[in-house]
Amino acid sequence: MSKVVGIDLGTTNSLVAYVKDGVPLVIRDTSGDALVPSVVSLGGDGTIVVGREAERRLLTSAHRTAYSIKRFMGRSAEDVKEEARHFPFRIVSAPREARSAASEVSNAGGSSGGVVRIGLGDREFTPPEISAFVLRELKHRAEAFFEKQGEVDSEVDRAVITVPAYFNDAQRTATRDAGRIAGLDVLRIINEPTAASLAYGLDKRHAGLIAVYDLGGGTFDISILRVEDGVFQVLATNGDTHLGGDDIDILLMDRVLGGHMGPPLHGTADPDRRAGADPNRHAEADAAHRVGAGPRVGPSPEALQELRRAVIQAKWDLSDREETTLNGTRFTRAEFESLITPIVERTLGPVRQALADADLQPSRIDEVVLVGGSTRIPLVRRKVEELFGRTPHSELNPDEVVALGAAVQADILVTGNREMLLLDVTPLSLGIETMGGVTSKIIMRNSTIPASGSEMFTTAVDNQTAVDIHVLQGERELVADNRSLARFKLRGVPPMSAGLARVLVQFQIDANGILSVTARELKTDVEQTIEVKPSYGLTDEEVERMLLDSFEHAEADFAARLLIEARNEAENVIQATEKSLRHPDMAEIERTELASGERQKIESIVAGLRMVLNSTDRETIQKWTHALNDATEHLAEIVMDRSVKAALTGKNVDDINA
Amino acid sequence: MAQPRLADFFSFLGLPRKLRIDMADLEQRYRALSRQFHPDYFYNAPPAERRVALEKSSYLNDAYRTLKNPIARVEYLLKLEGVAAVGATPTQEREGISRATPPQSLLEEVFALNEELDEVREQKASGAPADAWRTRLDRARQPIEAKRAAHESQLQELSERWDAVADVGGANGDRRRVLEALRDRILERNYINNLLAGIEKEMV
Repeated sequence: MSKVVGIDLGTTNSLVAYVKDGVPLVIRDTSGDALVPSVVSLGGDGTIVVGREAERRLLTSAHRTAYSIKRFMGRSAEDVKEEARHFPFRIVSAPREARSAASEVSNAGGSSGGVVRIGLGDREFTPPEISAFVLRELKHRAEAFFEKQGEVDSEVDRAVITVPAYFNDAQRTATRDAGRIAGLDVLRIINEPTAASLAYGLDKRHAGLIAVYDLGGGTFDISILRVEDGVFQVLATNGDTHLGGDDIDILLMDRVLGGHMGPPLHGTADPDRRAGADPNRHAEADAAHRVGAGPRVGPSPEALQELRRAVIQAKWDLSDREETTLNGTRFTRAEFESLITPIVERTLGPVRQALADADLQPSRIDEVVLVGGSTRIPLVRRKVEELFGRTPHSELNPDEVVALGAAVQADILVTGNREMLLLDVTPLSLGIETMGGVTSKIIMRNSTIPASGSEMFTTAVDNQTAVDIHVLQGERELVADNRSLARFKLRGVPPMSAGLARVLVQFQIDANGILSVTARELKTDVEQTIEVKPSYGLTDEEVERMLLDSFEHAEADFAARLLIEARNEAENVIQATEKSLRHPDMAEIERTELASGERQKIESIVAGLRMVLNSTDRETIQKWTHALNDATEHLAEIVMDRSVKAALTGKNVDDINA
Repeated sequence: MAQPRLADFFSFLGLPRKLRIDMADLEQRYRALSRQFHPDYFYNAPPAERRVALEKSSYLNDAYRTLKNPIARVEYLLKLEGVAAVGATPTQEREGISRATPPQSLLEEVFALNEELDEVREQKASGAPADAWRTRLDRARQPIEAKRAAHESQLQELSERWDAVADVGGANGDRRRVLEALRDRILERNYINNLLAGIEKEMV
């Protein structure tokens, strides 16, 4: 059996973990290192290097090396232009979309600008592709590890990948796309703080209220959970997807470059870069569709990376020591703390909001768990301790705990073990645009997922035959202040007077926190379903092409693999159907609940599917599989309902599943 | 494709259609059912089962969220029994924004408050010190706060009456009267919240 792993795809570092005999373990390289720096470098000969070696290349070929790519996932060029100048690599928006993007800028917050592309040397990559290189590195690391363990099938083809809890739909979708591009079946996208709580709660098994404070390289999350009976229920979550250790590094770099700390860096300090210290100044997209600054006059990109490394070292030093040196000057912890206080305090607003949403006073929290490398900073610990009035926990390695939790969740998914259960929430409200540019919320933030919601709309003018559906995410009243996720049109509405049509818009958020939307005109049953593809995300075709382009999948292999998957799926469905048909109460179910001929119909489709199963015609196999799925949905529901009655009358879960 | 027929929230959680709910019991039922339906446990199941699990766990989450909150619970009961307040969109209902016309029983308070708010706005415009109009607003808030407290206890009492008539099956007229009284209290409550929000807005 191939292997399944949990992956923490971090801004700065990434890790992979797996579960062995019920215990999650981080997979290390031969030198015992668990962390793979999330850095990707393009060599002069076109080869891709990932991890420590790529990190080293930041100092020798900075403009061919990408880091902190998580900050660009699911974002538009417009979103990132402010911070783009801090990076040595080129950040460009897709040329074909650049023109229309410009006219849409004021239209809906953040929906414009097209997919960001990262330019390394003469090539361009989307953020999911860069992340896919990191994921593939982790996959290889795990496979090498399993091989060494003497596993018969060491292939790693399935993974749970974590994202910040406060990631929006576009950022989650981009992460899932990265997994697919890396050749992984992404079992589930789960939230980092929730994953951490799972790893943390594993050997403690106690009930209570937990706050997880997760300050990483680029993102901040706070989640409040209640743990009881092995159920990890998130009550509220909040955060900032652009707040982390990177911001501290940038702040310190700006201090040095601005001459506030030691001598000015060799070369002419670039006024544009210095201006980075002024948050009110907006970078202009200068040439063509170029968004960010590449190498310019002033310190070379390599010199800047040298400085970045020095700044990070100083930051680390000051976690254990009272003083260090930076750029040849004495730098004390007190100075450091007074500099970073505004950044640390930015985390406190979201913490208070999450507590308010959970309807809890800080003193009610039983335990505070720290996650993320930036929580090693003493000031961060002090601020958290002040707010909650208790000492935070830090027994587990804050770098590793998220990957461990992801591995636990992956194990739950493949084994179906019901001992533990994660109930997470959607971090942001979802809704659609209504008259006057107002957002009508359909699913409120902090709703437990999966979640669904619906609302009825009508036409505004006579004989209107199409209805525009504009899907939004965010807490604000006005459409322009929220994030535009997607737009689509429900066509084919028959002409009638304004206000007569009845359009039902239904939202469904799955367990990954990813949204799909259905719109239906009820008078005529015109229906349209879309999986919301973010306006600046990748299309399915693009993802598939990127997968084909990847080194591991020649086209023929790919077709063969798809055929095998289709056959496996068909076998699965047949087996499940036959199991349902063997249900002890089947005779009674057939008599009282099934339509006449329903069972015969199912059996004949099973027979038909068996006939085509060994053909090489993938589409026919899939067609029959879908037919069987549709035909058995009713039966599946009946069987499930019977197990529920047992659950509610107090039998325990094991009896029911036995 | 068969559209699953889902029971109402109360029956779905195996509860009688009553307003008094033991929270610990509700939580326990919610967890037990989550362990039945959650998509995590259907990862290996065929798509038909996965679809049903997704639909049912979404519905369960909705049911739990609604019944957990005492006001949402009353509003849901009213909708089930066909005496829902009309006029607000679902979003407005969820956010407790009530329709434009104030209920009869609140007219007096509404007029008094509107007058007060007008004067406060004038005071603000003429540059009066914040302390002066803040005190006025605080004073204006008191009768409305009192009204809200009275409402809470009325809602409590009516909820108990509902549980009693629901229990004995009660004559239809009885049930109806209790439900309509509950509906009026809910409408008034939403309106009171609006008034308080209006005061809050002027405070800044």
